[in-house]
Amino acid sequence: MIHDFTYLKPGSVKEALAMLADHADECKVICGGQSLLIVMRQGLVAVDYLIDLKGLNELSYIKYDDKEGLKLGATTTHRIIEKSNVVKKNYPVLTAMEEKLASIQVRNWGTIGGNLAHADAAGDPAPVLISLGAKVKLGSKKGDRVMSLEEFYTDLFETAMEHDEIVLEVQVPPAPPKTGSAYQKFNLIENDQGIVAVAATVTADKGGVCTDAKIVLGNAGVTPIRAKSAEKVLIGKKLTDKLFAEAGEAAAGDADPVSDIHSSADFRRHLIKVLTKRMVKKAWDQATKG
Amino acid sequence: MEKKLITLTVNDIEYELYINPKTLLVEAIRDHIGLTGTKRGCETVSCGACTVMIDDMAIKSCSVLAVQAEGRRIITAEGLEKNGVLAPIQKAFLDEGSYQCGFCTSGMLMSSEAFLRETKNPTEEQMKEAIEGNICRCTGYNSIVRAIAAVAKGKYAEVKS
Amino acid sequence: MNKYTVINPHEPFRVLNTHVHNIDGIAKVTGRATYTFDVKLPGMLYGKILRSPYPHAKIIKIDASKALALPGVLAVVNGKDDTLGIKQGIWRRYNDLCDEQVLPVDKVRYIGEPVAAVAAVTEEIAEKALDLIDVEYEELPATFEPLDAIKKDAPEIHEGFERNINVTRHIEWGEVEEAFEEAEYIREDWFKCGGQAHMCMETRAAVASYTPDGKMTVWTSTQSAYYHQALLAGVLGLREGNVRVLAPYVGGGFGGKFELDGAQFCACILSMKVRKPVKIIFTREEDFIASKRRTPMFYYTRTGVKKDGTFCAREAKVFTNGGAYTGMGATALYLTGFFHSFPYRWKGYRYDGYRVYTNTLPSTSMRGFGAPQAMWCSEQQIEWIAADLGLDPIEMRRKNSHHEGYVVPGQATIASCGIDQCYDEIKTWIKSKGKLPKNRSIGLSACGFMSGGIFNWFDTPYSFSSAVVTVNNDGTVELHVGAQDIGQGSNTTMAIICAEALGVKIEDVKVHSGDTDHCPADLGAWGSRQTLMTGNAVKMASEDAKKQLLEFAYAQSGLNIVYDLDIKEGWVHAIARPERGETFEALVKRATRGKDGQRIVGRGYYTPHRKGMISPAYSYMLQGVEVEIDDETGKIKLIDSMTAHDCGQPINHLGLIGQLEGAFSMAAGYGYLEYMPFEDGKMMNPNLVDYKMVRSTDMPPANIAEIDTYEPEGPYGAKEAGEGLTNPTAAAIGNAIYHRFGIQMKECPVRPEMIVNALKEKAAAEKEGKKK
Repeated sequence: MIHDFTYLKPGSVKEALAMLADHADECKVICGGQSLLIVMRQGLVAVDYLIDLKGLNELSYIKYDDKEGLKLGATTTHRIIEKSNVVKKNYPVLTAMEEKLASIQVRNWGTIGGNLAHADAAGDPAPVLISLGAKVKLGSKKGDRVMSLEEFYTDLFETAMEHDEIVLEVQVPPAPPKTGSAYQKFNLIENDQGIVAVAATVTADKGGVCTDAKIVLGNAGVTPIRAKSAEKVLIGKKLTDKLFAEAGEAAAGDADPVSDIHSSADFRRHLIKVLTKRMVKKAWDQATKG
Repeated sequence: MEKKLITLTVNDIEYELYINPKTLLVEAIRDHIGLTGTKRGCETVSCGACTVMIDDMAIKSCSVLAVQAEGRRIITAEGLEKNGVLAPIQKAFLDEGSYQCGFCTSGMLMSSEAFLRETKNPTEEQMKEAIEGNICRCTGYNSIVRAIAAVAKGKYAEVKS
Repeated sequence: MNKYTVINPHEPFRVLNTHVHNIDGIAKVTGRATYTFDVKLPGMLYGKILRSPYPHAKIIKIDASKALALPGVLAVVNGKDDTLGIKQGIWRRYNDLCDEQVLPVDKVRYIGEPVAAVAAVTEEIAEKALDLIDVEYEELPATFEPLDAIKKDAPEIHEGFERNINVTRHIEWGEVEEAFEEAEYIREDWFKCGGQAHMCMETRAAVASYTPDGKMTVWTSTQSAYYHQALLAGVLGLREGNVRVLAPYVGGGFGGKFELDGAQFCACILSMKVRKPVKIIFTREEDFIASKRRTPMFYYTRTGVKKDGTFCAREAKVFTNGGAYTGMGATALYLTGFFHSFPYRWKGYRYDGYRVYTNTLPSTSMRGFGAPQAMWCSEQQIEWIAADLGLDPIEMRRKNSHHEGYVVPGQATIASCGIDQCYDEIKTWIKSKGKLPKNRSIGLSACGFMSGGIFNWFDTPYSFSSAVVTVNNDGTVELHVGAQDIGQGSNTTMAIICAEALGVKIEDVKVHSGDTDHCPADLGAWGSRQTLMTGNAVKMASEDAKKQLLEFAYAQSGLNIVYDLDIKEGWVHAIARPERGETFEALVKRATRGKDGQRIVGRGYYTPHRKGMISPAYSYMLQGVEVEIDDETGKIKLIDSMTAHDCGQPINHLGLIGQLEGAFSMAAGYGYLEYMPFEDGKMMNPNLVDYKMVRSTDMPPANIAEIDTYEPEGPYGAKEAGEGLTNPTAAAIGNAIYHRFGIQMKECPVRPEMIVNALKEKAAAEKEGKKK
């Protein structure tokens, strides 16, 4: 059963941040609640004050320009992101990821800010956004700050946010020319959460050499993992099938997966090996076409 | 904890409720308003039996607080028919036999209806995805997709003479 | 997207096998249908069950004082203080199989077993009260796997059951050793079949109301209102006639809802204590951990054939993980052994089944009733044998198959069998697919299934099925049956048979079911019995009413004796001169007046007599499944399927397609998705995030080719269609895996990790082989 709480509905971000400052440890923020209500029902989260951000339309937006890149307001629903032409044109990997996220119902009400703040190791957006070099803007009564999404995750279901902070915005830099991105999760049934997942973004120069690679593993550790050894295999080289496979092997080594009823740790490593190879190749083919 | 007085608009009727703010929308609909067509089948936002439409969007009412739905237009399975005339999707379900035990049916109807309102000329894959968030243990889904397809093709469109 | 083809066009029935709507449609598609889940009564309380955290423990003391002190709590009950302590079971004829107290008195035998129950003003208070009940346990050593539980030093789970062997079953015919000697090729294999959760969309649910006149009324999600009436009367010490069981719409059963469950029992006990209605609804988690599951089995099967593929002998030994109580497990143990022989002729066949108690969730019946497990083993082994001998797997099956008139020695007479045409249909389907893409393959599985059982282990004095047809003055018809609609559409099927037999339109028939006060006793919806058994009762009752009505028509008609009358679609006429006649309504009015104002009532009933050891009739099918498998990740995707199916005369057209497609999704889940692991007696995934099932995007087309046969024992020649279809799919998927990779999967459900590991082993073995 959900623990009784006092319900607070701020009319603006400013009001929300003031409430958060007032109630600090005793409160939690809810937006779409697609993950939060489950854990509240299980008694894993029990607070005296619940601050509802769902009505804060000032944080529901998608902005893009070629210089600043993409800015997603925290209360933007997954469905809006999924259906956005601007997102599809400039970051098709985000659209593809959203299309496979949970179900339409969850996407209609759940938000990108809520998803990232929940810090589920099996979450889809984080690995993709990290591979795109994304940042998060956090806000509190004291002020705003921006940090890389990679540094945002500290542990299982834990982030670097202070008690009085919320996610305000996700910022995705504009993709350099000749950049490709791909994401795949491994699951037994379509749209299910990933047993593991791999996001890969690679950039090529005019000579066909890989100048940058960001490979991020999902559900392969307590937080998304940058597979840096896999990236090392690729950077500075002209990529071939042999290198894709090598990157896969290296990524498997970077992973820190658990064994559970869905998969042994070994099999998760095997899947990471295969998915990394495939996603790097897919991203590379995108980057170097035309 | 302070109870809240809210007004929910369900099937175009306004209901005034005085509830504990932790009340889920599905509880408000079923227990407070008394419309039991919407069901519950899990505790993990997995099964979709509780799906309703909020502002034309298919949403699982087990993971929305009732207080969050104030000011929105909520439609449940009971709200699909108009003056006893079944909606096209309901007629299609009858024709295709798209239900067996019927427990998932309200949720399936809402997911289907929301999908049909927002998607024209859908592909088969899109129609399958429309109900991916709804579990059915009885039908194997294909008859539900056939019903959606029939409506999408215009089989139940009103003929204007 | 689906193909529905009829092979041999049937007689032009007016209602039978036509595209009629399911008669419960308006209620179900408009949100009006109410289920036990929805029942709300004045003064109703909410019940919650406290469950054992231990797999095996003595109950020393239960202190509910703190719970009772919580405002809003009206009662707390436990087995010792508040029940008669009766050990019950559904196999009522056999005392030793009645081993379950539902609320136990002395000890608990599985994690999740009910220990106490609370009734409170709200659900939330009831839940809080559970935390306030102090139970002192003395933990006992526990055992979880059948092959461990039968060891000499294993802990004893039920007193007096040596080696924890709960039930044994033996089936044998022919001279088995001789038959093996005739064989030119023998193969033996071990298999492991998993459990499965029924996963009904409506969880276990009951509302019980005991009133000061000593009457108990129970609304419950049930597959048999009569069974629950009798079982509850037995454990509560009430007369059956003082127990009324009502089934509102039922949200699925699949074999898990005809035994007495904790929701029903605890709601009754609580209501008896406080004389108020008490509602208990299982959460989804409770439904997973505390309602019985499909029986996991260890299968050993040894098969001997001639080099030309003629089947000679088979010997199977099975150990099933019975869990803590018998439930319907004895029947599953028997049927798995029988259907392991299907659909083939064996010169010698021997089956020995051992059901073993363990300290886990009890196992019971689930759609297919032991046959999906049997086919997982049999149909794969047969495929491997065909491959070993270089024979065509379809033709090898065909030459050994049952046929009309075949007698399974000492077991069954096959009065109708369309399996031969099934082989032709599937061959056509496979041919039409041409060359498959290289990551795809097709697997097949044949099987057959019963149309209801001949057994009376329930010890009922009543006909297995009964029906009453009452004709109103306006031509509408009340049909009272005890058959329970759990979604399979039995209300509609019975209305169809009644309308066809009586000669009225289906809209004129009102079906009454699910109320023991008003409906005749019927064993209910399990074992695929209702279409044949209740269908026969309905046909008989309808024909009885029709005969009574026609007496008045004949009397009036003045027809020459050689002419006869009939009624079709509400028109009473001479068959030779159909244009001359009167309306059904006009005849009814005359007949009612002729009977002194009494409505015409027809009665019908059916109990199988001398129909072998298992069933009066058998359905047959051959299913092909096209599967795509990723050879690096092992991920399985279902692409297409075709089932050639013989259910005799189809009755309910939409219902049949629905049963095929639904059974397929459940059976496929058993083959590759519905993994249900237990660790030290604890179910590891009791929720719908971690328990995987087929969803819309995973479901392939389920094409059907209906083979028309005529089953003399069934109404209009009908047999079952719905449970048999759950039998082949897991094996078909296994065979698709085999044909793609040459790996033999012994365990189901098959998961990608298992495929990848098997491929690695195969590659390693080939490498070793090359070295040598």
